[in-house]
Amino acid sequence: MHRTARQVKVIQPPSLSLRDLQQGMVRLREYGDLLWTLSAHRINVRYKQSLLGLAWAVLQPLSLMLIYTLVFSVIARVPSGAIPYPVFAYAALLPWTFFSTALTNATNGLVSHAHLVTKVYFPREILPLSYVIAALFDLLVASTVMAGLMVYYHVAITTQVFWLVPIVVVLAAFVTAISLVFSATQVRFRDIGMAMPLLMQLWMYASPVVYPLDKVPARFRTFYELNPMVGIIESFRRVSVLGTAPDMRLLGVAAVVSIGLLPLAYAYFKRVEATVADVI
Amino acid sequence: MSAPPKEIDLSFEHVSKRYVVRRERPSNGTRSLLGRLRALRLPVEDFWAVRDVSFAVERGEVLGIIGHNGAGKSTILKLLSSITSPTTGRIRINGRLSALIEVGSGFHPELTGRENIFLNGAILGMRREEIAAKLDSIADFAGIRPFLDVPVKRFSSGMYVRLGFAIAAHLDPDILLLDEVLAVGDAAFQEKCLRRIGELREAGKTIVFISHDLAAVERICSRVILMRQGQIALSGTPAEVIAEYQRLPAIAHHNILETAVADSSAEIESLQLCDLEGQLTPPVRTGSPLALRIAYVVRRPLADVVFEVLFTNAEQQVVAQWTTEVSGQAIALQPGEGVLEFQCAELGLIPGMYYASVAIRERGAPDALDWQHGALALRVDPGKTVQGSFYMGHQWTLLAQAHAVGG
Repeated sequence: MHRTARQVKVIQPPSLSLRDLQQGMVRLREYGDLLWTLSAHRINVRYKQSLLGLAWAVLQPLSLMLIYTLVFSVIARVPSGAIPYPVFAYAALLPWTFFSTALTNATNGLVSHAHLVTKVYFPREILPLSYVIAALFDLLVASTVMAGLMVYYHVAITTQVFWLVPIVVVLAAFVTAISLVFSATQVRFRDIGMAMPLLMQLWMYASPVVYPLDKVPARFRTFYELNPMVGIIESFRRVSVLGTAPDMRLLGVAAVVSIGLLPLAYAYFKRVEATVADVI
Repeated sequence: MSAPPKEIDLSFEHVSKRYVVRRERPSNGTRSLLGRLRALRLPVEDFWAVRDVSFAVERGEVLGIIGHNGAGKSTILKLLSSITSPTTGRIRINGRLSALIEVGSGFHPELTGRENIFLNGAILGMRREEIAAKLDSIADFAGIRPFLDVPVKRFSSGMYVRLGFAIAAHLDPDILLLDEVLAVGDAAFQEKCLRRIGELREAGKTIVFISHDLAAVERICSRVILMRQGQIALSGTPAEVIAEYQRLPAIAHHNILETAVADSSAEIESLQLCDLEGQLTPPVRTGSPLALRIAYVVRRPLADVVFEVLFTNAEQQVVAQWTTEVSGQAIALQPGEGVLEFQCAELGLIPGMYYASVAIRERGAPDALDWQHGALALRVDPGKTVQGSFYMGHQWTLLAQAHAVGG
């Protein structure tokens, strides 16, 4: 196998320069095969030893949907507007399950691979990223059930559904940014991992998953809307099952926050990466 | 015109690596939240694992790096392979660098041998098509061809290790990092690994070999660097550097990264090999006399102390022990410095590499006051060569002889 000219690699003390970040991106591209192989294996392994296999990607949001329907619709009578509550809830649980699964797994990504991290070099962001990609695959699988639900409840699909592409991009960017920060911090402070289940509960109730956005009292709204998941989930629900345009203002906030956060999160991660093997 | 200068494949320019250590007070583990938060602001201690190290390796050179435990060898290895980054200085690597390390720990038990080869190859930086092209060769090298599609959790531990190496051995680097690899696997597999390293050397690859195994270093290296307390003590031909290494006393290193040394009432300061007359650089041979001096410092009166030296082989098995315990005589020590010498009239170890670990403890106490694990690397050369697994000192006397009595 022939390789072209040798590449000179210079290793220096960690710094926070744009050049370093750019180098990090170049290296990540070189290791693209590892990212895909690892993501594919995550999906593979998860389904290999389980009886229900792929069905698990669907079972989780589906059973949550059933529980929430029972609690919030049948018992608490939370309104769901023009669409049946199960569809209303499932349309929000799709992006939410992706968010919480990806983030929970990615947070442990570095720590759970300590044996590799201390032995061999590869761009460490691949570890949390591979969990995000695997969760994205689950999202795709779970989406098929939503199509089935919509047929069953006679909810019409409109061309607004194409908005899902940019919405999922924003969502993925946001998850990636938070995953990078959490997984890097988890190396030093395992408290992050401990707090995860509680944090996810709080975050879900701080997002319009089980209740409609317009039921949030106006005086909380400004604060409430700072959460990028609000714009993402609301817009996801609107374009998929309500057939209306996304809430541009909220989606815009989410996009600006996510895309602005990403380079900062990456820089932070790279800074921690430089000495991660010393403390892990 | 003079000959073009040789290309430099790898260089360290004033590289230092500092570890920051928080000195924790010994506690029973139930510290309050306040205590923990306060600990974050505890004064930190600096530990320079590597300090202002500069060297360059030319293309095709085989550089050996030797030194006692804690001298900075493994930090250099980690810096070279980008696992950690330097605190100051600059490392320049010209080309693709791979470490021949055992990556079996990266295997996923549920995945098949084939899937793991792809996964681990990718972790080591190989591209998919490159792995696909080498798949058969890797499986043959590891001797697991019939088990390619079996989950590796069904593999024997030997298969595991061999597969890990086989993948690393199929990297196609410009610069190869070797780290004590030869101590793994059975003899036939070791031979395979050695042959592979030989091939890479013949192909003009640049190799950095970090090892305790002086015999292997002497055999394959063209130049050797001796590390001592994070700095380069000597650089030169294998013969002269190894000779200097064996003359040096091993400075005990108190690994402040592990706060295991809870009791500092006695500490081992250094270890020094000598012969029974106190001459340094003794020949270390089977059946020859050998002495080991342990310099220590004691901080409180100790009524009954035991000194121990454990000899382990490359496989980490204890093969012999020297201990003052069996002599039955109590050693009482007063605060201050001192030296204890163990003497052995005839060394029983057969030729090979050994590591000596030294401990000071109070008689009957479960934990050592100080414990230097693998502090001294010992290469035993052939002397009174015998068959068997150790030399047993013996004398003989001719008791009777049939006289050649004539007719």
